[in-house]
Amino acid sequence: MNGNHVWIIVRKELRGLYSEKTIILAIFLQLFVAMFSAFLMVGLTAMYDPAAISRFSTAEYGVGYAGSDSALLEYLEESPDFRVYRMDLSEAVASLKERKVSAVLYVPDTPPQSDDPVKVTLYLIQNDLQTAVIETKLRDVLVKFEDDLRAARADRLDTRPAELHLPPARPGGGFFEFVYGLLVPLLVFLPAIVASALVIDLITEEFQYRTLETLVSTPISFREIVAGKILACELLVPLQGGAWLLLLSANGIPVLHVPEILLHASAASLILILLAAIAALHYRERSDAQFVFSAALVVVLLLVLALPGNPLAILARLAVGAAGAEHWLSLAVLLLCSGALAAIVHHRTRSG
Amino acid sequence: MGAISSILTIARWEVGRSLAAMSRNVLPVSGVLLLALVLVSGFAAQGGVHLQDGIYRAGVDDPEHYAILAADGRFDVDLAGGDVLLRQRESYDLVVVAGEVLSRDTEKGRAALQALERDYDRYAASVYMQQEDLFAAYPLWVEREYVESELSFPATAGGRIPGASSGRERDPAPEWAVVEVPAPPPTLGFTEAELRSELARGATADDSFERYTQVLSRDRTLEGCTIPALVSPSLPFDTIVLVFVFIFPLYFVSQFCMMSVMNERVERKGEVLLSAPLRPSQIVAGKLLPYLLAMILVSLALILALGAPLSVLLPLLPVMLLFLASALLIGMLSRSFKELSFVSIFFSTIATAYIFFPTVFAHVHAISLISPLTLVVLGLQGEGFGPADYFYATALFYLTGAALLYVGVANFHEERLFGQSGFLSRAREFVDSSLSRERPLASLLLLNILLIPFVFMVQMMELVLFFNLPMPLSLLLLILCAAFTEEVAKSIGLYTLFRREGCGTPVNTLLLACIATALGFLAGEKLLLFAMLAQITHSIFGSILFSSLQVLWWPLLLHLTATGIVAIALKFTGTRGYIPGILLATAVHSLYNLRLIAGWIG
Repeated sequence: MNGNHVWIIVRKELRGLYSEKTIILAIFLQLFVAMFSAFLMVGLTAMYDPAAISRFSTAEYGVGYAGSDSALLEYLEESPDFRVYRMDLSEAVASLKERKVSAVLYVPDTPPQSDDPVKVTLYLIQNDLQTAVIETKLRDVLVKFEDDLRAARADRLDTRPAELHLPPARPGGGFFEFVYGLLVPLLVFLPAIVASALVIDLITEEFQYRTLETLVSTPISFREIVAGKILACELLVPLQGGAWLLLLSANGIPVLHVPEILLHASAASLILILLAAIAALHYRERSDAQFVFSAALVVVLLLVLALPGNPLAILARLAVGAAGAEHWLSLAVLLLCSGALAAIVHHRTRSG
Repeated sequence: MGAISSILTIARWEVGRSLAAMSRNVLPVSGVLLLALVLVSGFAAQGGVHLQDGIYRAGVDDPEHYAILAADGRFDVDLAGGDVLLRQRESYDLVVVAGEVLSRDTEKGRAALQALERDYDRYAASVYMQQEDLFAAYPLWVEREYVESELSFPATAGGRIPGASSGRERDPAPEWAVVEVPAPPPTLGFTEAELRSELARGATADDSFERYTQVLSRDRTLEGCTIPALVSPSLPFDTIVLVFVFIFPLYFVSQFCMMSVMNERVERKGEVLLSAPLRPSQIVAGKLLPYLLAMILVSLALILALGAPLSVLLPLLPVMLLFLASALLIGMLSRSFKELSFVSIFFSTIATAYIFFPTVFAHVHAISLISPLTLVVLGLQGEGFGPADYFYATALFYLTGAALLYVGVANFHEERLFGQSGFLSRAREFVDSSLSRERPLASLLLLNILLIPFVFMVQMMELVLFFNLPMPLSLLLLILCAAFTEEVAKSIGLYTLFRREGCGTPVNTLLLACIATALGFLAGEKLLLFAMLAQITHSIFGSILFSSLQVLWWPLLLHLTATGIVAIALKFTGTRGYIPGILLATAVHSLYNLRLIAGWIG
């Protein structure tokens, strides 16, 4: 294999990408996915951690309370999130339907020490984003009430869980796992997926446009052509991934160990690109190759995610600075896999 | 009859060709891959997804606490003496010494603390689960009853938070008739064994995989009855996952359609078809028909598998139409495979987002109805939808799909199919051949009317995107983006016309073109607005987008001025002036809207 020849192909493909300007669309697309994730992030945190959106809304929710008095009523009155109204059950539910209150609680007169459970009935508006917020806020009050009842019945318990004193929760931290455990690996790996789809297009178009004969009649061999195409796609990965990490740190999300992350992403994407190249060389037809490759990609990604210590998890650990020297081992495994795949590509391009 | 039979002939030909190619090459492999997918998802469902393994470091001095932390893959835990841990506190995110939890005051430390909190809850639950006396361990049970709200959209569309009592002094009291609600019985209607199995289910329900499979199988034992710790939001996201189940097959089928169109251009087989005595519309209809049928079949299979009502298929039809129409156009426009890939991925991401975002707000805001998939969500939950909802949610999809199909058919001839210019200039050529040469002004008028659904779609998407941002910022961004979108759309026809004749375009032609554009845009806007968007115009967001509803003279003047700016820029600086012209027009448009919001006009 002649390095110069490979380089000529790399330059040709990169020039082609640049002149078509469609690479701009790919970058747009990734920006869009990031925006999409940010949207989901706000939505999801709003659901699981209402404290996070209380920055946006300091609303006090009206709650109708019916039935007998209990410690629950006091806890609700103490809570800054709720304004409690003692109401008749029927009227309370009617008000709920008109959205004058946002939830109704009915408490029966079961005594705390009773052998029977205390059953609280909670009336809510069906399937509403706001209902989700209220359920989460009510949960804390209900858990407090449960603790009281459990203490009253403590003598009937055989064992108790080991005590653990947690400091009071401080705001923040809700986005951490999302950003480092999902967004960073996703953004770094997206270029790899784009690049592997690209390599299929680059290889199959030579077959389908029948330009291969022309290319092979030059001093450049078939193997060098394929190698050049693979290299061109591979070069795009650290470039794009690096740009993402820069953008993240500009947005106040510092990412540690950037060079190692890019190394991992490049090695892992080399595997995907080689797999895609094998599919393209086998089918020589774009829609078949793309279909089989994207189906295989789903299988491979799912399998990889289910394995402990997978490259994506290592990426997350590198980004937060929690990875030890074992990531070099993982890198070696990735390189070994790509070596094996490269041998297959080498074998398949033998005839020319 | 002749037309229909030739469409069917082409459809059969298309099926035969693609099926032959498929079965030979792909079918065996896809069988293997499907099997692998089933195996792998079973494996992943069992072991869970390892994405956040070991991102926190914790130190513990008690074996019992160690077990709690070590059960969570996110923690990398050391067991050591308390004094050692306290000395090395800085190298840990969390330290647990003598039952006291100390966390570092960093973003990561706080996140680790939250993770531990949930782990501890789970651990405590597992201890309570072992208890002989279930009602001593779990003395409180919550039964949730869901009622349907009688006030649906009008209350929330105004931006009011329903049920929030901020600023209200009087006690709430119902205005309408009160229906007698019997006091619920104080006992649980379930046996202890049933309750224990509910608790066991709750203990594993944290796993996201499990949650989705449960939605799919609808296997809920005790509807609504649970302990306080499990009173978690009833995720509307679960139904949204189902939405993806419906969209992805459509996306795959449209990929094949796109590729078939592209292949005909690459291999020049299409030339034979074009020389046959057939109209382009028949060829296009014949080519798209098998894919449409495939989409319908796949959706039907999914509906049957999920046990959903058949009416769910109706809102999917316009989505299929739009997907196929754009597949046709993308297949016709792309110069190379990589361009095809990028453009199609770009389109499907945007389309999926447009379909997906609003469904998050299903039941919350009228805006959610702009996506046909919201109707699917409603249908899946067994609520159904009326014809008005259907019209409102799907009209834009039908209109844009039809407009794209028209452009595709108008350009389905040799010169366009086998041309080799760049993507944007090809797109311009496509618009160009959709504009009549004899009656440029009339077709300019029509073009701008047809562009309205696209503009509305883009603006709707901006609306949904910015909806979550804090108020002044979202308004400002929306004003700017909405204005920019409109200006770009209005300039398309003008630019195409200008490119036909270059800088020599006479001034009065340009002036007439401006008038035609402004009139067409205004007419389209009015038609659509009066027909379907009345609901949204109530909210403040609506009044920005569709502000021109009230007075006719002002918006006409605005459209004229804005297109005039672009026309002048084109006339005097050529195509270089196009972008600056649009930016200037956007600025003028935004200022107008800002003034309108402030109430200075009208």
